[in-house]
This record gives sequence, C-alpha cells and structure tokens, in this order.
Amino acid sequence: MTSLTRRAFLKSSVAASAAATVGLPVSKAVLAQAKTAEAGWAWDKAVCRFCGTGCGIQVATAGGKIVATKGDPAAPVNRGLNCIKGYFNGKILYGADRLTQPLMRMKDGKFDKKGPFVPVSWQAAFDEMERQFRKAYAEKGPAGVAIIGSGQYTIQEGYVAAKLMKAGFRSNNIDPNARHCMASAVAAFLQVFGIDEPANVYDDIELADSVVLWGANMAEAHPILWSRITDRRLAAKSTKVVNITTYRNMSSDLADLEIVIAPSGDLAVQNYLARELLARNAVNWDFVKKHCIFATGPTDIGYGMRPTSKFAYDAEKDIQAKELENTLDEAEAIGQRRKAGEKVAQKSRASAGAHWQITLEEFKRGLEPYTLDYAAKVAKGDPDEPMEAFKAKLVALADLYADMKRNTMSFWTMGFNQHQRGVWVNEQNYMIHLLLGKHGTPGNGAFSLTGQPSACGTAREVGTFAHRLPADMVVNNPKHREITEKGWKLPPKTLNPKPGSDIMGILRDLEDGGVKFLWVQVTNPFQSSPNANHWLKAAREMDNFIVVADCYPTLSGKVADLVLPAAMIYEKWGAYGNAERRTQMWRQQVEAPGEAKTDVWMMLEFAKRFRLADVWGEKPLPGLKDPAFPEGRLPDVLAAAKAMGYSPEQNLYEVLFATPENRKVAWPDPVAKGHGNATVKALGESWFVEKALFEEYAQFGRGHHHDLAPFDLYFRDDVRGLRWPVVDGKETKYRFVEGQDPYVKAGEGFNFYGGAFKAIPTGTLDGVTDPKPVPLPGKAKIFFRPYAAPVEQPDKDYDLWLCTGRILEHWHTGSMTRRVPELNRAAPSAVLYMHPKDAEKRGLKRNDTAWIESRRGKIRMVVDTKGRNQMPRGSVFAAFFDESLLVNKLVLDAVDPISRETDFKKCAVRVTKA
Amino acid sequence: MNLSGILVVVPPARLDAAITDLSTLPGVEVHHVDPATGRLIVVQEADGVEAEMAGLVAIKARPHVRLAEMVYHYFAPEGEES
Ligand code: SF4
Repeated sequence: MTSLTRRAFLKSSVAASAAATVGLPVSKAVLAQAKTAEAGWAWDKAVCRFCGTGCGIQVATAGGKIVATKGDPAAPVNRGLNCIKGYFNGKILYGADRLTQPLMRMKDGKFDKKGPFVPVSWQAAFDEMERQFRKAYAEKGPAGVAIIGSGQYTIQEGYVAAKLMKAGFRSNNIDPNARHCMASAVAAFLQVFGIDEPANVYDDIELADSVVLWGANMAEAHPILWSRITDRRLAAKSTKVVNITTYRNMSSDLADLEIVIAPSGDLAVQNYLARELLARNAVNWDFVKKHCIFATGPTDIGYGMRPTSKFAYDAEKDIQAKELENTLDEAEAIGQRRKAGEKVAQKSRASAGAHWQITLEEFKRGLEPYTLDYAAKVAKGDPDEPMEAFKAKLVALADLYADMKRNTMSFWTMGFNQHQRGVWVNEQNYMIHLLLGKHGTPGNGAFSLTGQPSACGTAREVGTFAHRLPADMVVNNPKHREITEKGWKLPPKTLNPKPGSDIMGILRDLEDGGVKFLWVQVTNPFQSSPNANHWLKAAREMDNFIVVADCYPTLSGKVADLVLPAAMIYEKWGAYGNAERRTQMWRQQVEAPGEAKTDVWMMLEFAKRFRLADVWGEKPLPGLKDPAFPEGRLPDVLAAAKAMGYSPEQNLYEVLFATPENRKVAWPDPVAKGHGNATVKALGESWFVEKALFEEYAQFGRGHHHDLAPFDLYFRDDVRGLRWPVVDGKETKYRFVEGQDPYVKAGEGFNFYGGAFKAIPTGTLDGVTDPKPVPLPGKAKIFFRPYAAPVEQPDKDYDLWLCTGRILEHWHTGSMTRRVPELNRAAPSAVLYMHPKDAEKRGLKRNDTAWIESRRGKIRMVVDTKGRNQMPRGSVFAAFFDESLLVNKLVLDAVDPISRETDFKKCAVRVTKA
Repeated sequence: MNLSGILVVVPPARLDAAITDLSTLPGVEVHHVDPATGRLIVVQEADGVEAEMAGLVAIKARPHVRLAEMVYHYFAPEGEES
C-alpha cells in the first residue's frame, strides 16, 4: 500500500471504529475494514488518567507501544466519549523529554545542593536519599520528614506511601495535592454525614429537572459529564440549568439562568435560599424530623494563615495580622448579627471544626438576616447588572429549589472547595437538600465533584492525608489507631497520634526549617501551591533535601535536589476511584522507558534500607500531648515488636509489605492475561505486589461501609468499575437509602450511619451551653453557617479581584508534555481575562502585556477582554497551569481553617501596563 | 501521523450546513452521518497533541456545533511529538 492509500485506509478505519463506539450505524464491510487496520493490536480496558469523572477507555498496544486509545462504549460514565484531554492518554507516555534516569545535584562527584543535575544510578540516588533521610530523621524525628502525595496516586501507591510513613517512619507528614482541591468537601461530608463521599451517582444527571452549578465550570472542567447534562437539557425541555459563578464562562452557554456572584457571595445566597424554603413552607418536615438535627460552630476561626508575621513580606503583613484579629465589615456584621467595626479576636483557630447541636428556632434565628435585600447586596457580582435584575434571579433560583415536583441536582467543585469557608459553603448545600428531603435519591442530591482521577479512590479512601488512616479513620482517635495497628500487625502505640502537617503546613515547615526531607510523588506542589515565592526560596536556600519522583521535568523537579524517573499510568498496574465511588482498575500495558520505575517500587526499595531498630525506638515528637503517650515523644515499641515475633534487624519492606500473607499472592497470576508487571520485575520477586496490597487495604473497609470488591472482579471483562460499597458482588447506587444501600435496614427509610462526629454538645448560635456530647445515631446535620467576608479584598492599592482556575485545552500541557522553562523567565504567554472597561482604564487593550501584582509577587501576562471567560468589572481571571508563568506567586495562602484547603479563588491584585 | 475520530452533534436541521462547514477545516473530513440524530463522525489529521487539541477546540467553536468530543485516537508509534 502506498503511504497515501494507507493514510486514507487508516482514516476510514478510525471513522468506522469511532462510529461503532458511539453507536452510529455503519456497514459490516466498513467495520471489517477497521478490523483489518487494527490487525495485530491488543485492546484492553483502562481508565482515563486526567480527571475525577473517571471515563473508561480502551487502550491498543502493538509492538510494545500504545498505538491508539478510544472511549470505552461499555463504560457507563462516558459511553464511548472522551474529552479533549483524552488525547493525552496514549501520547503522554511518549513525550520527547520523559525522564529516564535519576538526576542529582552534584559537584565534584558528590551531592551538592548548589550543583547542577547530573544523571546517577538508582543505587547512588537511593544511597544519598537514605543518607539525607537519616540525617533529617535523627535531627528532627518523624516530624522532620514528609511526603507530598497526590489525587493521581493509584490506590496501591497511596497505600504504600501512607503505610510506609505512618507505620514505618511513624510520621503523619504525608498529605496529597488533593488537599488543594477536595479537603473542604471531605470535612463537610464528615461533619454532615459522619462519612466521606457522595450519596448520589452520575445516573442522576438523566433524571434531574434542575441542574444547579455552584462554582463549577463543568463545560471545561468535567466535559463528559457536561455532555450528559447537555443531552439531558436538549432531550427534556423542562430541564433547567443554572450556572452560579463569579464570571461568565463556557457553562453559561447552556444555562437557562446565569447568576454572577461576588466572591463568598455563595454563603449569603444559600442562607437566603434556606430562609425562603422555610418561609414558603417548602421544607420536607417529615424527612427533617426523622433524619436530621440542626447544628452550628464557631465563627472566629481565622483564615489558616501563619499566626506570626516572622516570614511575611512587608506588604503581606496587614493581611497576615487578620489571622489573629479581624474587624467586621458591614456585610459580615449583619450576617453574623454583630456590629460593623467590631474587632474579633480569632479565638477558635485551633478548634475551627468544633460544632454543636442547636434548636430549629436557633437555626431560624441564624437565617433571619438573610433577606433577599441583604443576600442580593452581598452577593451581586456584576456591578453593571441592575439590582432588581439580580434579585429576580435569586428569586427564580429559589423558585426552582422550592418546587417540590422538580428533581434537583446541585453540583460543585473548586468554587466551593477552594474557599476560606469551604467547609461551610459545602455544608450549606447539604442544608438546602436536606431541608428539601432531596438527597441521595434518584435525580436529587447535592453532589461534590472531584478534580483529580483518584482524589476519592486514593487520597480520601486510602487516607493519604496528614490526619487520616484507611477507610475514614483518623490518627487522633485511639480506637482507630488500635484497629489500624491490628490490621497492620504493629505493636500498640507504633502509630503517631498527632496529625501531621498538611500540604501548606509542609511548605511552611520547609521555610522555617521544621521539615528537612521531602519526597514529592505524582504531583507538582511548587507549581500548584499559592504564595509560591516563599516555597521556591525555601526549597533552594534552606538546608533540606527534596526528592521529586515524576515522569517529566516539572517546576518541582527543577527546584529539587534529586529527581527520580517514574513510570506512568499504563506502564504499571493501578486502580483509581472516581467521584461517584466507582473503583476502576487497569493492567500494565507497556514498559516504562529507560530506567523509569514505578513509585511503588521506589518506596519498597527505600523501605528495604531501614530496620525496625532505626524507626521503632523512642522518637521525639515536639508538641505531642496525648494522655496515652509520654509528652513530646513516641515510645519505644521494639520490645513489643519482639514479643510479636519481629526482629529489630528486619527491614520495613519485610515487615510492612512483603509479609508472609502478601507473599502468598503469587505472580504471575491468570488475571494478568500475559501482561507484565514492572514492580514485581524490578523487585525480582514472585508476589503480586499490587494485588496483595489492594486486598490488604480492602480489609479495612469491608464490613465497615466501604466495601471494595475482590481485586479480580474489577478485571472481569464485563465490569467497568464498581461503586462501593460492593457487598456480595453488588455495587451500591444510592447511599444511606433503604433498598439501595446494604447498610440500611428495612423500615429505616434513610440511615445516615457514618460514625464521625456523631456525639456533639448542645448550644445556641453563640456557643456551647451543655458540653456533654449527645449521640445522634443515623442522623445528618443541617448546619447554619453565616456569611464571612474574604480576608483579603480589593482596596485602593490592589483594586481587583483575582480568581485562578483551569482552562480546558491547557490541561497539563505544561507539566506533561513540555520542558520546564527557566524559573524566572517571564514569557508573557498566559492570558489574563479582564473586562474591557477595566483594561481601558489602565491603558490596556486585548493582547497587550500587563503587569499583575499582589502583596506577594508580580508577573506579566497577556490581556484578553473577549475570551470565553467574561469577567465582570472589578475581577480578573488567570489560569494557573502555565509553567512559564507562576500565577501562584500572586495567590494568597489563606486556607479554610477546618479543612486546611487553599482558597485559590480570591485575592486582590493590581494590573498595570507593562 | 495522528488521527482522531470525533463525534460532533448538530441540530438535525443544520446537518448539511454543518457538513459543508466542517469540511473546510484543515485536516478534517466528515465520514459518517446519522441524519435522524444530527450526529457526525469526523476524522481529524494533525501533527501533534497541540494541533489535535487546537483542532478540536476549533470544531467546538463552529456554528451549530452542540457537542464535539474525541472518541478514537490513533497515533503513529514513531517520530513526532512535541
Ligand atoms: S472527562 Fe475527565 S475522565 Fe473523561 S476523558 Fe475527559 S479528562 Fe478523562
């Protein structure tokens, strides 16, 4: 065949396969041709690597390489479609700048923090890593070492990392980038339901009459779910879509109602809605009385910034000071029934998550100020929109929610989660749905979507957070530690009861010298964390050792001391869990290039270098105050370990991972159908690491509301992932609902059985009146949470709001396929969206270069006044992905004080002509 | 060589106009059409990931296009890629 006819042949084959995949009629002859074109390819099911939607894909390999990918027609999530990011699933493995060998900063043949990167062997890399780890561990103890992990970890990677850190090194300093995207959702789930993760499923999209987006630009961030919403909207004429956002975006194109709100205006709007539901008697009292109680918590909780100005730049100090004392502005004062100008000491910073039961009357009293007038005044986001028009929109929104006949789904992502009051604003949405009795039933529910492919499956379910253990358990609960120690066969008191540093905490610890060894896995925190100038400097100038395992050179790799080449998605076995509790697995398809190795292998090899005697003796832990532990110390558990049959000379690989039980899970395994296993091969072992560790992990959840299916079931040809709890081989669609959820008994109707925070004190809006915890089995909590003003707002020096986020086609183009440009290169390639009048006022027009400056840094960007993101006057938007331009240098590192999640959505900047 | 099969959905009444319009885009060919539902399969040929994505964004931006998402992606094993 000539190349031209070969090309035409391939094109018609691609077309035929695509048509067949989405069910377009094609003739048998055409299909047969497509089969010929694909002769010699092996197709296997897998999962998309790029977002929390969790689309199923099919991967074709030939000659040891991936040659094609397609949407999986059998996958219920995406039914054969992929979004634009799907282009990377295959291609991502083959970028020209894949890392293929370890790189270490060296001078004169030795590690030198100031030296350039030099390729080294794995042996040399591990030797230096071990030396540096031991140094930090000897000097600072378990608190001096840290891992920053990921919502892109496979389940097994997260499990190995958490177990190695928590059980091996007895450090809770492991936190995922998911802290930056999902932590507020998690804390709200735990406070409201006592258990993490959504009750609803994607199937509800096709059943919804009203779809309300709150701070979720689904058209760009969740395109496949958006295509389902689009289909629903076009197929069922009565369906209404509402887009509540701080600027006009692509999701507005489909929306019947677009409501542009001011930053944090969502807090006021949701209280207005609740007030309306009560006023209109649209509350499902039967449901509320049977299954809910009312609750609230403190408001003087700070903003998650450092309590000291020691590390602040001069320009930052005024905002930082508000961490300890804030002055109420008028809107906040009204919303909290106080006086404007009142100075409020932020006394509840350490107990921000505390909460107590209140009466319905108190709940109503809390909502009282949230009239239409007040909510509209606080929340109106577009200064050019007439007040009456905005009010009419709020009323229309209330009409939709209050209509008992309409099935109502609310969706949110980062607009809610990345919020200084992210937990509150999540809880408010449950407040609305619980008042309506419309939660966790077909077509009705408040649904928290996730950004990353395994933020749910790994970061949350495995518990790779600084305070978590597997299956929703937490380190500071003695019972949970005991269960985990039993499961992991650890001596009592091996586990550290003090929550470690969250991701911002770890970066701050680098800056103040608290953490001296950091291992970054499957993420790029120096790019993706706010107030970046601080951490970039800390990485390069403090006495510390930073290891970055990645597949491409990223900014984090650039500021590291040692870069380890990692195997990617289909170069290893793995499992992800998506936003609807669907766990999906894939086989290794191809081999990683060069010396690149799986993260699991890296951790297991590292574990071999530490004996029990190194880690299970007495360890200093400054600040530890726990009645069961000596003050400031973790006890020596070696004697107890000996009594359990361990020798102090055994290494962590043998004790934690290659246990006698796990070694029984043999490799090769028929489930592999001839596929390879890079981890097992590199270890030179004959146990199936990923399967054994998955089964070990799954023990924690089975019988405890988190049941995962047996490993092999996920690989059965007719399975496209399963939504947990999977009991007796059957997945669960709706949680907490009788007849759907195996944990709800007949006659209960609903049972919000989650066990966390299920005994709380009693009080009023103003505080606790009776500290005795009252148990609330089976109940969900309807929280009153007031409006709180953003800690930094535009003023005369920094007069514009800055919001940051993602743009569809730029997803990962930086970190996955491009070389990292010079750190300080100010190539003005990224786009700053702004209102034409704001631009004009500053002498700017479209495509001009502008300086954008906050209290924390300054960068150059290109102005766009007409793009798909249309900003109201007073606000600008920048995408954070661009590696050549660190938008995060500008962003404030305030976090939600309960969830410790960063607010990337609101800080103040000024823009001038460059 | 990078080829992708893309599902495009347009209002059935605009099908002919959409076919003509899409065919003018560089590297884009319309292959299969379902007149009843307004669904089309187009094949796009592009040099690398950046061009493939830009191409799909361009398709999404065409008049009448309600939905355009990638279904099938074939890429030549060797040689190219930024
Ligand atoms: S929507 Fe998400 S999971 Fe689906 S193809 Fe796109 S990036 Fe992948």
